Amino acid sequence: MATYLSSLMIVLQPVNLIALYLCSIIGCILGAIPGLAGGLGITLILPLTFAMSTDLSFAMLLGMYVGGVSGSFISSVLIGIPGSASSIATCFDGYPMTKRGKAAKALSIGITASFMGTALSVLIATFASKALANIALALGPWEYFSLCFMAVSMVIGMSNGSVFKGLIGAFLGVFLATIGTDSVSNQMRFTFGNYNLFAGVNVVCLLMGTFALQLVATSYAKGEQEMPEVEAGSLGGFGLTVMDFVKNGKTIVTSFLIGLGIGFLPGMGGGVASMISYGQAKKSSSHPETFGTGDEEGVWASEASNNASIGGALLPMISLGIPGDGTTVMLLSAMTIHGLQAGPMFITQHADLAYMIFAAVLVAAILVFITEIFTKRWFPLLLKAPYHYLYSAILMLCFLGAFASTTSMFSVGMVIFFGLFGVLMDYFEIPMNCLMLSYILGTNLETYFRRGMSYAMGDATSFFKRPVSCILLLIGIYSLLAPAVKFMIKKMRASKAA
Amino acid sequence: MKKKLNRTHVMGVLCILFSIWVFWQASQIPMKLVSNEPGPRLFPYIAAAGILICSVLSLIFDAPKQEERDSKKKQTYDARYWKRILILTAVCILFGIGMYYIGFWITGMIGVFAFTMLLKDQKKINIVAAVVFSAVLASVCYFGFTRGFNIPLPKGELWSALGIKML
Repeated sequence: MATYLSSLMIVLQPVNLIALYLCSIIGCILGAIPGLAGGLGITLILPLTFAMSTDLSFAMLLGMYVGGVSGSFISSVLIGIPGSASSIATCFDGYPMTKRGKAAKALSIGITASFMGTALSVLIATFASKALANIALALGPWEYFSLCFMAVSMVIGMSNGSVFKGLIGAFLGVFLATIGTDSVSNQMRFTFGNYNLFAGVNVVCLLMGTFALQLVATSYAKGEQEMPEVEAGSLGGFGLTVMDFVKNGKTIVTSFLIGLGIGFLPGMGGGVASMISYGQAKKSSSHPETFGTGDEEGVWASEASNNASIGGALLPMISLGIPGDGTTVMLLSAMTIHGLQAGPMFITQHADLAYMIFAAVLVAAILVFITEIFTKRWFPLLLKAPYHYLYSAILMLCFLGAFASTTSMFSVGMVIFFGLFGVLMDYFEIPMNCLMLSYILGTNLETYFRRGMSYAMGDATSFFKRPVSCILLLIGIYSLLAPAVKFMIKKMRASKAA
Repeated sequence: MKKKLNRTHVMGVLCILFSIWVFWQASQIPMKLVSNEPGPRLFPYIAAAGILICSVLSLIFDAPKQEERDSKKKQTYDARYWKRILILTAVCILFGIGMYYIGFWITGMIGVFAFTMLLKDQKKINIVAAVVFSAVLASVCYFGFTRGFNIPLPKGELWSALGIKML
C-alpha cells in the first residue's frame, strides 16, 4: 500500500500530471476520430519519450492509452461510425439514441460507463498483480513458452477472416523476430552484414510503418477522408439520475466482469469484450426487441466492458509480460525501449514503476471523466478535424520518430518499407494484430523454447510433461484448431446437404 | 470457364516464394549448438514452413471464395487506388531524401505542405493556412526535438558540403 501511495504521488507531481492530462485529452481526440485511435497516439509519441524520464514517459503513454479507449464512443454515438473497434457495439444503440434526440444522455452514459470500467478494473488489476506475479515466479521456460504460444494462438483464433491468413501473419511476425543477433547463440541471422539490423528490426519503425503510414496511405487511396454531418441537437446537462444506475446495475456489473475477463485473455481487447457484453445484455434483457433502436442498456453494456478491458489487459502485461490487447503490445514495446522487462520479476524489482502504471491509469480515468463531462457540448467539433492537416502531421511525425529512434537514415527507409508492407498486408487481408503480437512475443517464444529444450536435454516432450505447460499448450492448440475444424465440419455438412 | 486470378492467389504465390527464400537463407546460418538446444536455424525454419503450409491451405480454401467476398464489399482496389499509393510513396521517398540532403527543418516545411496539398484531394483549402501550418509544425518539431529534448535531427549534408551552418 505504501508503495502504491508513493507511486501515486509520483503521478501527481505537476510535470507528470500535466503530461498525463494533455496526453489523455489528445488520446481522447484521436480515439474520437474514426480511423485513428489512442494506439496511433502511443506510436507517435513513443520517440518523444526517448529522452524523458521513465515516469514522465509512462504518464504520457498511459494517458494516451486511457484517452484513446475512453474517447472512441464519441463518434459511435454522434455519427454512428465507431472511433475504434472497441466501440462498434456502442453504435448499435448510441446512434439511434442520437437520432431520437437523446444524444446528451447517450454521451453521459458513455462517459460514465467508460470511467467506471477503467477505474474499477485498474483497481482490481493493482491488487491482483502481485499475486499473479508470485504465481508466475514459480513457472519455468516450458510454461513461459506455452503461455506465449497460447497468446499468439488465441489472437489467430479470434482474428477476423481466414485462419490461414491469421497464421501467415503470425509466422511473418516470428520471422521478423528472428532478424538480428540470436539471443541464445549470438549468431547473426538475416542481417546481410548491415549493422543497422544487428539489434533486429526496430520496433518503432515497424509500428510507425505498419500502423501510422499504412493508415494514412490506405485512407488516402480509398478516399476515406470525409465525415458525415453531426446532427446532435442540444448536448448540455449530465442527463443521468441515480435511478439510471439502479435500473442498469445488473448490466453494468455483468458487462464489467466480462470486459475484465476478456481483457485479461491475450490479444482479445475491448472490441471482443464490448460485442460479447452487448450480446449478453440483449440476451438477459426483458425487452431484447428494443436493442438496436436506442436502448440505454446497450450503451452501458458496450462502454462498461470495453473500458474494463484496460485493467484486464494491463494485468498480464505487468505480471506476465504478455500483452492483453493491441495497444498493450505498444506499451510493452515502450517498456523494452526504456530498458524494462515486463514479467513476474518486474513487479518485485520495479514495484514503484509497476504501481505507478496502475496509478497513472486511475488518475487518467478521473481526468478524462471530469473533462468529458464539462466539454461534452463541444464533442461534435472533434469530428470536424481536417484530415489533410491531421494526416500530414502524422506522416511527418513518422519520419521524425523513426529517425529519432536510432539517429540513422536507415530507419526512415525502414518506415517507408514497412508502410508499403502494411499496405500489402491490408490488401491481402492478413491481420496485422497477429503479426504484431507474434513479433513482440517471438523472441521470448524462441528463447524459452530453446532454454526448455536445453534444460530437458533435448527432450521436446518436456513441454507436455509439466502440467501447467501442458494445459496452456492444449488451450493454445484448441484456439488455433477450433476455427479451422469448425470450418471443415461446416463445409462437409454443406457438401452433404447439397 | 477461365478462372481469374484474385488477390489470395497472388498472396499465396508471393508467400510460397518468400518461404522458399527464408528456407534457403536459414540454411546458410552457421550452426553453433549450445548444450542440447535446437540451434539458431529452428525458428526461421518454423516460420518458413508455417508460411509455406498456410499459403498452400489459403490457396486451396480461401482463394475460391475471394471473389464472392469482394463482391459483398464496396471497396475496390482499382488503378486509382494503386496510383495514389504510388504517389504517396514517391512523396515519402522524396521526404526521406530531402531529410538527408537539405535537413529535417526545411524538408519538414516543404514536405508537410506537399502532403497537405496531396491529401486534401478535391477539397478547396486556404493555401496561406497550409503554408503557415507546415512552417509552424516543422519548426515546433525540429526545435522541440533538437533544443528541448536534445535529440539530434539531420541538418542536411548539402549545407555541410557547401560550408553553410544550419540552425
